[in-house]
Amino acid sequence: MELEKQVDGQVAVLRCSGRLNMGAAGRLRAAVDETVADGVRRIVVDLSETSFVDSSGLGALVGGLKSARQAGGDLRIAAAPEQVRTVLALTNLDRVLTPHQTVEDAHRGW
Amino acid sequence: MAGDHTLSGLAVPEGLDELHDLLEQVGVQHPDVSPADLMLFETAVIEIAGNVVEHGRPPGGVHWKFSIQVRPDRIEATLADDGMAFEDARVLADASMPDADAEDGRGFAMASQVLDELSYERRGSANLWAMVRRRS
Repeated sequence: MELEKQVDGQVAVLRCSGRLNMGAAGRLRAAVDETVADGVRRIVVDLSETSFVDSSGLGALVGGLKSARQAGGDLRIAAAPEQVRTVLALTNLDRVLTPHQTVEDAHRGW
Repeated sequence: MAGDHTLSGLAVPEGLDELHDLLEQVGVQHPDVSPADLMLFETAVIEIAGNVVEHGRPPGGVHWKFSIQVRPDRIEATLADDGMAFEDARVLADASMPDADAEDGRGFAMASQVLDELSYERRGSANLWAMVRRRS
């Protein structure tokens, strides 16, 4: 998985390209924690190029969400492809990680 | 036999990528299999294999052999590994989905939900996982 980070003011966009699996989950989690530690507490994870997510990747998203919220911010996900949306629904995580259609949609209200 | 695909290797994170690649080939060679069925099956396979990678003993030294067959009515696969016995087979029988704030423990529940059959047995010195999904 490739991970790109773009910070625009108070919002950081983390773009995950490839498979968000066991080998990649730790990097996403570390990137979220580092972003929050830098004082940017609103995070959008752009999943448009994420071809596959497994339970480790879901765990990293949940962990990142908790980190951001504990710091008074939030983590939102955007542009999740079908496999990701299916797995979020299967695990009931779509209730806490609501998939937004686009990165711009995820920004709304911030 | 036509419809059979196998892979041998080490139960390490890179091995998971090899499984993904193999499943992609299965999709190319069996265009009649619905992408949704294959995607759900792949989700289950990666959870079961990921568990072997994470918990297999000795770490990094477990060899596995994966085999997948596309049948007219179902997709089935076995994953055999030479690691120490998987000791917590009870988690299979009680694979309930953890709460939303849990950061782990979803793998077996996810696999169970998308498979019609999931079983584990210790056969000789091998762990044997069997997975079946009926095609839609």
